[in-house]
Amino acid sequence: MRSMRSLGVHKRLAAVVVLVLMAGAVAGCGGSSSGGSSSGGGAPSSSGGPVHLVMWWWGDQEAAGLKGFVADSVAKYEASHPNVTIDTVLQSTDNLLPNFAAAAKAKNGPDIEYRWGGIWSLTDVWEDNLAPVSDYLPESETSHYLNASEDTYDGKLWTAPWYVQPSFPVLYRKDVLESAGVTPPTTWDELITACSTLRSKGITPLAGGVKDGWFGGWLFSILGSQSLGSIDDVKQAVTGEKKFTDPQLAEWWKRLGEMIDANCWNDDIGSQDLYQAQATWVAGKSAMTVTAGTDVRKFVDQVGADKVGVMAMPAYGDGVGAGKLGSTSQTLGITSWSQHKPEAADFIRFLHTPERLTAFYEATGALPADDRFDSSQIDVAQVKTLFDMVQQGAPYLENFIPPDLDGKSVFGGVQLMFAGTKTADEAAADMETEMQRIRTIQPDLIDNFNKWAK
Amino acid sequence: MGARPRPRPHLRRQLQPLLWLLPALLSIGSVFGYGIYRLVQEALHRDGEWVGVDNLRIVIDDPPFRTAVEHNLRLLLTLPIITAVAFVIAALLFERTRGWRFHRWAVFLPYILPVAVVGVLFGQVLTLHGMLNQTLEAVGLDSLAKDWLGDPDLALFSLAGVIIWKEIGFGVILFLARLLSLPEDVFDAARVDGAGFWRTHWSITLPMMRSIVGFYLVIEGITLFSWVFAYVFVMTRGGPGDSTQVTETYIYNNAFTSNIPWLAASAATVLLIAFTALAAIVLLVRWRLARGKAA
Repeated sequence: MRSMRSLGVHKRLAAVVVLVLMAGAVAGCGGSSSGGSSSGGGAPSSSGGPVHLVMWWWGDQEAAGLKGFVADSVAKYEASHPNVTIDTVLQSTDNLLPNFAAAAKAKNGPDIEYRWGGIWSLTDVWEDNLAPVSDYLPESETSHYLNASEDTYDGKLWTAPWYVQPSFPVLYRKDVLESAGVTPPTTWDELITACSTLRSKGITPLAGGVKDGWFGGWLFSILGSQSLGSIDDVKQAVTGEKKFTDPQLAEWWKRLGEMIDANCWNDDIGSQDLYQAQATWVAGKSAMTVTAGTDVRKFVDQVGADKVGVMAMPAYGDGVGAGKLGSTSQTLGITSWSQHKPEAADFIRFLHTPERLTAFYEATGALPADDRFDSSQIDVAQVKTLFDMVQQGAPYLENFIPPDLDGKSVFGGVQLMFAGTKTADEAAADMETEMQRIRTIQPDLIDNFNKWAK
Repeated sequence: MGARPRPRPHLRRQLQPLLWLLPALLSIGSVFGYGIYRLVQEALHRDGEWVGVDNLRIVIDDPPFRTAVEHNLRLLLTLPIITAVAFVIAALLFERTRGWRFHRWAVFLPYILPVAVVGVLFGQVLTLHGMLNQTLEAVGLDSLAKDWLGDPDLALFSLAGVIIWKEIGFGVILFLARLLSLPEDVFDAARVDGAGFWRTHWSITLPMMRSIVGFYLVIEGITLFSWVFAYVFVMTRGGPGDSTQVTETYIYNNAFTSNIPWLAASAATVLLIAFTALAAIVLLVRWRLARGKAA
């Protein structure tokens, strides 16, 4: 009995030890926030000695075939540069940001890092985790990159646009709509009416999933941009000159509520991830879904070219994003700690050579972020439609709010709206409250945002 | 000629174990010591500047942190349920009810499954059109079919249910092992005296198993307060909204997603202080009780 009692005491002490372990993990990943490049800003010249590059990337999830393209590009580059070897690591959506954050704290990780555009790139710039690609690539090269303005700060291009993400089209099943006697809705009112008609025929109008949160950000962007005069409205709400409860910034919550009231979405949207929900659209159980523009060819291949239509979310307003797609580019950056920045930049440049641009399109059906891409090669009508739409695209809203605001208030607010436990007004108020919290907790982020926004 | 005084034998006996433990204590101490040092450093600085306890104050006042702590405390409320159910199942298996070998295996199986597997499995089972609701509808219990993970009022309970399902196996095996080591003549005597199942295990088994039950309570208490990250991350990612956020996800999100390491470190420090204080109080109370008994 005595030994058992002492064992109990030790296990109680173990509770403390567990916390210490957890604490140690956080501390180990902490370190000084001052950061800074470990290798300085100078450009080491290629000596011809062995160079090993590590590239962490993401995107196969939204551009089927990208994995093959990356492997092929690495093989070709290594063949023409015998002194260079490149290891590529495909990251999952949930790991992309955390893994890089951990690597950044240790200043030890990849040489080339995948980043979404806008603030998703620039937060790492402000943390001194990235070196400007424009220091290593000439203007004659970077001037061809599409949507580069999103990733430009302090006169420098920090991450290089890789491929365009038309954000985010609505895909519709022509056969399903036709069977219900519904024509593809082009206005907001038509969409709401279509929802009722489709429901009455036992068809789910729109398939989506918000369990993992990310789709909430998409909805914010494609609905929220419709009531804004310009992207400056949302920037000013971030800096405090406007509020997310102002009518033009809060309108989208009401429109989302309208869609929910009209039963536009699948009833299990709260317990599904987007990709799960899209499978019901492929199966013909729902009439419409929202997808990454890069994934359109995959869906066309799965369902059949004659059955798939593509359009922007029907418009309720006349703002900057009404009836348009957001145009943003997924990017590649060079880490501040990389010992091989010029070589990393050269590999990025290689991905923009005409042969690689063509290979990219052929492998993925997505559009390279380069105006040298010969668009006559686009052989899928739906992708051609996307190409035309992004020529007139609008800024992609989600790239202009702090990731924390997105993750907490937008993802969470959308989930709670769908669960029926938040009203549009409450969700907008929560967003404003969270923005105020971010201004208090992350004043440096707001300072940098201010400089970028102006 | 004076002889050098030799250490008293009982003192030597007391020091000897410490000497043997010293290398391990030093290595563990340095690992944890460094971790704690870095943690506290991070918690007391912001952007490289000393801010004292200001960060800790911000964390304590931070509504998401409070919500996360509240959710952990709610999960902790399942502790008596887990313990009681594990005890009853162990007692039933001890009584060698029919098919007890199979039941023992079936009850223990969830415990050896990786949390990620369990999370993915229940993530599917508990969707609105998942297996659980399909079963309920098939047997005419449509009204009980809910959006177990999509409804913010239910998500934490659903999560707790999965944790209970997985963790009970450990308790059952632990209790059963202890039960099997108890003297059989005590149970024989109870049976002769006419004690039934409940009477036997309430009045005889439970008092004899107090220490092992205490051990299990501590282990599961730790699990429910600081080891539920994998369940939450795989099944709900803290949603819907913040309805399943716990302290671990708060720390993780701030450290690795929101990129605010000082906030994560401060939250971990607050928890460290709270748990150290709690452990100290428990140890003090036990020490006083032990002294009282000895007196």
